[in-house]
Amino acid sequence: MRRREGAMNILIIILLFTSLLLTRVSRLKTAVSIILVQSFMVALACGIEGMEAGEVHMYIAAILTAVIKVGLIPYALLNITEKWQQEREGHPILNVNFSSIAACITIVLAYSLIDQALPGAAGSRDALATAVAMTLIGLLLIMTRRQAIMQIVGLITMENGIYLVGLSATKGLPLIIEMGIFFDVLVAVVVLVILTHRLKLSGMSTDISRLKKLKG
Amino acid sequence: MALFCPMVTGLISMFQIKIVSIKIVNLTGSILTSSVLAVIIYHIETQGAFRSELLYVDYLSAVLLIVVAVLTLTSMLFSLSYMEKELVDGHITFNMLRRYYGLLNLFIFTMLSVLIVENLGLMWVAVEATTLASALLVAFYFNHSALEAAWKYVMVCTVGICLALLGTILLYYAQVSVIGTGAQALSWLELKSIGSQLDPAITKLAFIFILIGYGTKAGLAPMHTWLPDAHSQAPSPVSGLLSGALLSCAIYAIIRNLIVVQIVLNREFLQYLLIAFGVFSIAIALPFILVQHDVKRLLAYSSVEHMGIIVLGIGISTPLAIYGALLHIINHAIAKSTLFYIAGVITQEYKTKNIMRIRGLISTMPLLGTMFMITILVITGTPPFSIFVSKFIIIWASFSDGRFILGASVLFLLAGIFAGMMYYCMAMVFSGKPKHSILTGNIGKPALMSMIFSVCLMVVAGVYVPAWLDTLLQRAVSVVMGG
Repeated sequence: MRRREGAMNILIIILLFTSLLLTRVSRLKTAVSIILVQSFMVALACGIEGMEAGEVHMYIAAILTAVIKVGLIPYALLNITEKWQQEREGHPILNVNFSSIAACITIVLAYSLIDQALPGAAGSRDALATAVAMTLIGLLLIMTRRQAIMQIVGLITMENGIYLVGLSATKGLPLIIEMGIFFDVLVAVVVLVILTHRLKLSGMSTDISRLKKLKG
Repeated sequence: MALFCPMVTGLISMFQIKIVSIKIVNLTGSILTSSVLAVIIYHIETQGAFRSELLYVDYLSAVLLIVVAVLTLTSMLFSLSYMEKELVDGHITFNMLRRYYGLLNLFIFTMLSVLIVENLGLMWVAVEATTLASALLVAFYFNHSALEAAWKYVMVCTVGICLALLGTILLYYAQVSVIGTGAQALSWLELKSIGSQLDPAITKLAFIFILIGYGTKAGLAPMHTWLPDAHSQAPSPVSGLLSGALLSCAIYAIIRNLIVVQIVLNREFLQYLLIAFGVFSIAIALPFILVQHDVKRLLAYSSVEHMGIIVLGIGISTPLAIYGALLHIINHAIAKSTLFYIAGVITQEYKTKNIMRIRGLISTMPLLGTMFMITILVITGTPPFSIFVSKFIIIWASFSDGRFILGASVLFLLAGIFAGMMYYCMAMVFSGKPKHSILTGNIGKPALMSMIFSVCLMVVAGVYVPAWLDTLLQRAVSVVMGG
């Protein structure tokens, strides 16, 4: 039990680290690789929880996470980024240092939120706070990044965060709901990738801040 | 068993995209779907709620199924001639047409699944599915504006939906100690029966997230930013469906969660929350309506306003107000979809969406011009049409509940919106000839049929509510109130 708790703690620290790291990268490929690691950690966390609780459905969920979020989605994203000639660097609205500071603030915020709102959490306080922090950092990424791919990365982070909340507060949702959620995430990324592809095809840059035509 | 038919129809129509007689297939498909839905509604009428393993329909679902049934039919009818005209005009290719119909049926299928699924978690999955199914429809023309609109749509709605997921997970957490983690978890019926045992603090937090999340999908301010773009860039029949059916499905999801949550939470808190969002939406819509250039964006902001009215009605939560809100869902769906169809034909003929350039409708397209005039009158709440009735009921409920300031300020806002929309409508319908001559091609018969049908519905519904509808609505109200 203590070993598993220790393992969970390490995972959580790595997850927090990846989220912070994401606010600092500007090369798209690096971001996608970090997301890969992040999703892998989440899958591992699910697996460990499964071992602790001894429920089969958590193993299935862990494997699904691994396949979809570590395999398919990064594969699709890497495919897209590779096809492009130039390596597009993100020019965020908030520069890198500010984003990192903002991320740290959100982590502190997450801890205080958890202490206030969910005192009787089933899982550990750290896991829950990390999960909330990850969600908020994902949101931060979506709001401050201009690159289409970076926004997708932010969405995946947010999704990972919410999944982790579910994992640490309860012992995971019923399998059928989890499968539905996975399916949704997959299709969401597919749709976004299609849109990004089309953006590229239509000759426009994938710089979202250039999409300002529709106003008012 | 009857419940599987709409889903199957949706699925099959999706695959029938290989033949030129696509129109026939889709038309039969949608007639089939609508009739099956009608049968289901009749079933609910006579025999009460229906439940199977994963699905559940009761009076509340029936109200919304009416919306989807009618809109499926009209949107398909309208698509037939509208998209054909687009094909002829050279705006789309045949392959795109196939894709369009496939996606359209998929979209309808996902909306139906929102309405008939019983488990709140699966309902979430279905709502997210509707976003994704319609995203590709919004981006259909794949030009710059469409892509921008679709991107905003997917991003904002998915972020919102993620918040709703967070809320649903919190709700699950709240009920874990009572229902457990099995197949019954997040089952709506179960939650309703054990409602009082949920932890209030967690449920409160959960509901706030759920409201914000599904509210994003429903177009409530301040999460409505995706709405004008998405509704104006999508092909017109899709806009009609988005505005009429999809927004209503999102409101349905909110109501379902509300019914569970109101058992344990302080009533007043919920009321204030909903009324605040409602009034804010109406208030936000007003300035944007007054300065619009694009006719479809104008209609989109009007949708924001109406969703605000509906949520306002639910927030006041007297039986009268809820009756008005549910009636308004139906009326708004019919009226708004018709408006989008008409606007679609207008923009097709005039080749522009700019209000300033659309003039003299009454002389170039007399029938269409009159219909447009009538429908704008309907949507702004002029008697003796349908929307007037539901708006009136909601405002009446607000006054009879003692909320005088609320009712008065809402009336004031609605008057402003009326003025704005009428100004633009008059400008478009009357006031002189268009700048260059417009060749008025024929409007296809199916499109005409669907529009005239909807207009008649609205006119009739203003003076007469059929008895079966009345009882259905009353029973749905009792469902909402927790009966």
